[in-house]
Amino acid sequence: MSSPEPRSAGRRSSSSRKRGSQRTEPQRKGSQGASAQSIGMLGRASAWLGHHQLVAVETLLKLLAQPLASLLTWLVIAIALTLPGALWMAVNNLQQLSDTVQQSGRISVYLQTSVSDADARALQQQVNQLNHVERTELIGADDALQQFAANSGFDDALALLGENPLPAVLLVEPPLGTSSSDLSVLRLALENMAGVEEAVLDLAWLERLKSLLALGQRVILVLGGLLALAILLVVGNTIRLAIAARVDEIRVVKLVGGTNAWVRRPFLYTGLWYGMVGGLMSWLLLLLCWLILQGPVGELASLYGSGFELQPLSGGASLLLLLAAMLLGWLGAWWSVSRHLDDIEP
Amino acid sequence: MSMVRFDQVSKRYGAAGKDALNGVNFELQRGELAFLTGHSGAGKSTLLKLMMMMERPTRGQIHIDDQLINTLKPSQVPYHRRKVGVVFQNHQLLFDRSVYDNVALPLQIAGYSPVDCARRVRAALDSVGLLQYEQRNPIELSGGEQQRVGIARAVVNKPALLLADEPTGNLDPELSAEIMDLFVRFQQVGVTVLIATHDIALIERMGKRRLILDHGRMLGDTHVVA
Ligand SMILES: Nc1ncnc2c1ncn2[C@@H]1O[C@H](COP(=O)(O)OP(=O)(O)O)[C@@H](O)[C@H]1O
Ligand SMILES: [Mg+2]
Repeated sequence: MSSPEPRSAGRRSSSSRKRGSQRTEPQRKGSQGASAQSIGMLGRASAWLGHHQLVAVETLLKLLAQPLASLLTWLVIAIALTLPGALWMAVNNLQQLSDTVQQSGRISVYLQTSVSDADARALQQQVNQLNHVERTELIGADDALQQFAANSGFDDALALLGENPLPAVLLVEPPLGTSSSDLSVLRLALENMAGVEEAVLDLAWLERLKSLLALGQRVILVLGGLLALAILLVVGNTIRLAIAARVDEIRVVKLVGGTNAWVRRPFLYTGLWYGMVGGLMSWLLLLLCWLILQGPVGELASLYGSGFELQPLSGGASLLLLLAAMLLGWLGAWWSVSRHLDDIEP
Repeated sequence: MSMVRFDQVSKRYGAAGKDALNGVNFELQRGELAFLTGHSGAGKSTLLKLMMMMERPTRGQIHIDDQLINTLKPSQVPYHRRKVGVVFQNHQLLFDRSVYDNVALPLQIAGYSPVDCARRVRAALDSVGLLQYEQRNPIELSGGEQQRVGIARAVVNKPALLLADEPTGNLDPELSAEIMDLFVRFQQVGVTVLIATHDIALIERMGKRRLILDHGRMLGDTHVVA
């Protein structure tokens, strides 16, 4: 079918016109119209799939080909996702920490300094008889001082004090699964015993931590909702600009029979990719946060004698982050497209 | 069985304005070529836009290929447009892609395989004598060549009906005649063609049917409508 001879000069000559009429031959075969119908259902389905693939690849390549133009949108998405993501990571870690703490929930009974060692041991016997007491451990005033001196390195200063300022402590461990009301009854009973200065339920701070964590989860929800809205707006605006830049193309496409779905498709994929790249960047930022914090947190925990380690985002959470980012990008594009695209008519 | 039939078609833009078309009746037989003439503002473009469902009639009925089109749902309009080829004065080519990709657009939309697509695009470009330009950007081409790319795009899907709105508007007489010859050749292979133009001198020489619009009314027809 290709033209064998160069014809740029003779294009307008009558000879070209003559050859032109021969060349209409292919046109003759199917000129009775109805060409679109000759594509069967299967052909249509595969064309539809093919177009999806084509558009998906094309739009992704287009974005990646101009990283600077897309960078702002990507960064906004990444930051908007990283904020609630980091908060979620923190809450999640504290949650795990509080779960391990719960297993060692206990009551510290501080004895009056006037109580002698023998009286303290008698008290311990007494406490052992109480309900909801599984184990007790008596740390005498001298033991407490030695432990403190060894851990703090203040032994010289302590020697200057002359007198031991620390009280003896009776650690009371209730069995696992004791209800918090039973625990506070037990604490009150212990505090009212003779020779007891104060009984402290170590769970009190845990309760506080838990309500703080619940609050944290609320904050994540609200913050996440607001930032999701921000992502929708940013992607929507980016897509609006992309639509404005392609008004001519959209008109032509609609004129030659492009459906709304066909016109919409590249913009929806563009939104999807914006979300995906933004999500990936956010994941990297969260990974970076983890890398930076993981060492110091581990050291801090070991200072408290805890084997706690800062956990990075799990695989499932990472996937969720990415999917949420893509969904938001797609939704932002969809919102923009449904507002602007139908107005563009040939 | 006519290709195009207008029954008492009126079109008014907006609520207040005067009628751009007023009670228009005409029929085009299959394989016929006719010119649509009239002063500027007579309603030529409006009539063509109604046939493409770019505008909807205020009153009356329009049948194309024996299908009543003015009641089509918006979702059906694209499929109607695929059956009609259009050429405009401002050829509406896309300058961010090659001649080939411009012409291939209707086929990609209709879901042709790349192989089918290539065959048909080459055939269409060949029929307007531009095969050697398929990889060029249309912006490098002359006005007449660009118009022919537009025509190739209009016929690539082998529509039964081809519409043209002032297709020679910007071209000198020699190029205009060449473009008109192209349309005649498409008619010869069975396509129904309707061309809006005010180039009276040119079409008088061609001796084809003329529909004359005047202030929205079909004033005359050199052909007696059945
Ligand atoms: N989109 C529009 N809105 C309002 N009036 C229009 C519009 N398009 C065309 N008209 C009016 O309709 C009449 C016919 O216009 P048109 O069909 O473009 O005529 P022609 O193509 O013969 O020059 C003119 O009076 C024109 O001003
Ligand atoms: Mg006009």
